[in-house]
Amino acid sequence: MTFSRRNFLAAGFFSSAVVLMDGCSLFGITTPIDTIRVLEKDLFSKAGALGIETGDYMHIIMHHSRISHADKTYIKNGVKWLNEVAIKKHKKSYTKLSITQREELLKEVVQTEWGDSFLYTIMGYLFEAMLGDPIYGGNNREAGWKWLAFEGGRPRPKEPFL
Amino acid sequence: MVDVCIVGSGAGGSPIAYELSRAGFSVVVLEKGKNYTEADFNKDELAVCRRDMFTPKLEDEFHIINEYQEDGSIKRYDGREYNWSFWNGNMVGGSSNLMSGYFHRLKPDDFRLKSRFGEIEGANVVDWPINYEELEPYYTKVEQVVGVSGKVVDHKHQEPRSTADFPYSELQTNGVTQWYDKACKTLGFDVMPTPRAILSQNALSRNGCYYSNFCGSYGCASGAKGSARAALLQKCDAKVITDAFVYKLESDGKRVTKAYYYTKLGIKHVVEAKIFVLAAQAIESSRLLLNSKSKFFPNGLANSSGEVGKNLIFSAGGSGSGRFVFEKLTQEQQKTLMQTGVFFNRSLQDWYAYEKDGKSYKGGTIDFLFEHQNIIPRVMKEVYDEDGNLLWGEALAKKVHKRLTQSRVLTFEVFNDWLPTDKCFVSVDSQAKDRWGVPVGVINLYGHKHDLEVGEFLAKKAVQVLKEMGAVEISYDISNAPPPNLVAGGCRFGKDAKTSVLDKNCKAHDLQNLYVTDASFMPTGGSVPYTWTIYANSFRVADKIKKELS
Repeated sequence: MTFSRRNFLAAGFFSSAVVLMDGCSLFGITTPIDTIRVLEKDLFSKAGALGIETGDYMHIIMHHSRISHADKTYIKNGVKWLNEVAIKKHKKSYTKLSITQREELLKEVVQTEWGDSFLYTIMGYLFEAMLGDPIYGGNNREAGWKWLAFEGGRPRPKEPFL
Repeated sequence: MVDVCIVGSGAGGSPIAYELSRAGFSVVVLEKGKNYTEADFNKDELAVCRRDMFTPKLEDEFHIINEYQEDGSIKRYDGREYNWSFWNGNMVGGSSNLMSGYFHRLKPDDFRLKSRFGEIEGANVVDWPINYEELEPYYTKVEQVVGVSGKVVDHKHQEPRSTADFPYSELQTNGVTQWYDKACKTLGFDVMPTPRAILSQNALSRNGCYYSNFCGSYGCASGAKGSARAALLQKCDAKVITDAFVYKLESDGKRVTKAYYYTKLGIKHVVEAKIFVLAAQAIESSRLLLNSKSKFFPNGLANSSGEVGKNLIFSAGGSGSGRFVFEKLTQEQQKTLMQTGVFFNRSLQDWYAYEKDGKSYKGGTIDFLFEHQNIIPRVMKEVYDEDGNLLWGEALAKKVHKRLTQSRVLTFEVFNDWLPTDKCFVSVDSQAKDRWGVPVGVINLYGHKHDLEVGEFLAKKAVQVLKEMGAVEISYDISNAPPPNLVAGGCRFGKDAKTSVLDKNCKAHDLQNLYVTDASFMPTGGSVPYTWTIYANSFRVADKIKKELS
């Protein structure tokens, strides 16, 4: 599936704003996709080095009927929590931090139960994008499979599921 | 009115459809799922294994699970909230489309567990009302009609056979099997190729295996796998109605008269038949009977004994693994290890029965196989370091690359009896309903401690083999966790109508024309995967129904 502008505009929920609070006052707004794009690069830059864009795949996840509403809400909440820690610590949202600051922040949040769980969840989707069938838009030219000397099963899907 | 109406199109229902329709009777099969053919199947890991495209969404259809706790309390789980699914393949042919096809027969002692091994406290062990000799011709028929490949070797628990060998030769195997065979020889264990319900050559108007490397959990694109659909339903004139969820069977007190079903849009339909066969998978068959209450059967259809849903069993045991690493192998061995596509196909049945501390135990089967090739779970297994810390970045990339390209995991699965007990049974919930408004099934879970003892014994034998082969990181997990794809019981057959639901021919004691032919009939499960026995028994019952209709 390629990501056309039409598809992108249809992706309202995932593009919609997440309100970020600094204590009791409004700090700003962000969208989950902005944060997740940066977060996925921080978690596994190898994907980008292989020419694989994993962020777009999250649009599919956030609109997939097989992903429960609770799971979608969890992703959105995780983005909110991650940003709130960033704001509390640096007065900046996650995407505005330097690489070093983001790395330190990840080391801090992974020590918490929610942080470990959220990062693990995002990694799962990241590897789905990177190592799933190229028909879903990630795993560009099977670069993920080639990196791991993996041959996908045959026959390959002719169209994406959903 | 048709001659036979079958609820469910899997391994329990399809042999009846195949035999009766080929004998000239009119047969209708009601299947809740969709129809897929070989042309529809592919190896899309995301769709099949990550998004579960062949099972219902839990938001629509689910179970309540009541888990028995050690302190005697019950913990209730809503399958929707805990993402706990007991669905398998909702499709024409059922879960047989997705099986790995590890095919072992039961052995004579499995039919007389109580007589042979005695009572076990807290368990409802009984002998079967039939013996191995009565089922043997049908095991042979399955080999020939569904297609089983393998090689019979002499070992101390080899069951009697009416034919010398399997009709189809062994599937191709990986060279690592030679390491395994050598290790077993050193240890004095009997090497046994695993029989598979997979054609090793073109036969039966189906293509042979093309070694896709993705067999279990996936539909077969060649038709080599002996699914109920490929082997039976596609070869007979039975009318299969898809998108048909049967929610009620109606009776006049003596005979079932109608089966009611909903389409996915909620439209009601009814089928009338002379004979009804229920084969919706063990849990759902009990659920349907319990939901089919009437003035004749206030506690559920065919349930005058109160036994419907009781003595639910799973396959007990667990699994384990060991890793082979390049550092310990020659270049030639590394190449052999990484050869994909071909199977491993080795089993151990040396301890199908064994003596320990002067006592006879019913043991089980150990199957060895390479770790499933799905790549996403293999990568996700590597995201934590040895201390349980989440890795990311370059450290994770290095680890993933090394582990996946310079080592490979051999796994084993232990199958032993899940003892039937009063605490493990199916009921229906008084409040929770599925998307059609039908009360959902409740799975009351309890595993007997004896099952763990036997499982541990067997797992330690498998560990010996892995050690002898030179594997590292050997571990195993034996637990009472129920495998959702290996479920049986709930409508056990027996001679006494007060203590069983079905007679020896799997006809309900209470009704003249209702048969149950999925794994529900099994009072004990044996120590092997059930599918071959379900097929064989269904062929046996088909002969009884044929006689009755004639």
